Amino acid sequence: MAERDFVERLEKSGFTGIEIMDRRPWGIEDCARYPLFDRELIALMRKVIPPECHDRVAESVVVRARLGR
Amino acid sequence: MSRDLMHSVELKTLVRDAYSAVDSDTTNVALALYDADELAGVPTESISGALGVNNHLRFAEIDEGSTILDLGCGAGIDAVIAARRTGPSGRVIALDFLTDMLERTAKAAAQAGLDNVQPLEGEMESIPLPDDSVDHVVSNGVINLSPRKARVLAECARVLRPGGGFCISDIVVEENSLPPEVLTHPAAWAG
Repeated sequence: MAERDFVERLEKSGFTGIEIMDRRPWGIEDCARYPLFDRELIALMRKVIPPECHDRVAESVVVRARLGR
Repeated sequence: MSRDLMHSVELKTLVRDAYSAVDSDTTNVALALYDADELAGVPTESISGALGVNNHLRFAEIDEGSTILDLGCGAGIDAVIAARRTGPSGRVIALDFLTDMLERTAKAAAQAGLDNVQPLEGEMESIPLPDDSVDHVVSNGVINLSPRKARVLAECARVLRPGGGFCISDIVVEENSLPPEVLTHPAAWAG
């Protein structure tokens, strides 16, 4: 899911004060640390994603908000 | 059943199977996300099963005595850390749809000497808690696994008390940033 979609869905659910508190690049090597990303997928990512993008295929974010009163 | 709902069921089954099959040690994930002070006293049971994607608890404004819902508790690393933060007058409701994960969390809480962690079996799209019953929702790399994310967020809003806090870690991907064969790969969803 894209970050803006996530924020929009939070707003629609009644959350306010939505902030992105942390943002870290998420690369193929990060994926490889997780057993849920199987070897086939990791190999596919290395093959079809341009090498210059391998270190940032997604982002890990921390999202903080409050439920509106 | 509509096609969309069938797809939803298939995706949930895929995620359930993927997580049930995890048997490798993921201590390296915990060491990448948490510092030594945060992990001090957290049982190996939880550290070796860490599958989070960031450290949202550093940013969560958790008051002592509050009731915290950990959405998709996994092996319990965040539930244990949050339980210490809220203290004995508060509690952490550790929700997961996998019995194995709930057992790991319960075992870890017992090993950590915590009696304020309450494992709860259920799905994040239909949280088995009353309205306005928790002060804070936390979650780590879990909401992106749901095929019904809007429903999950609506459920979070339902169970939170007015003014309650929400602080989660997750993975975001911009549209068209990845090749379609990657985005549509089943393991990409489960991961």
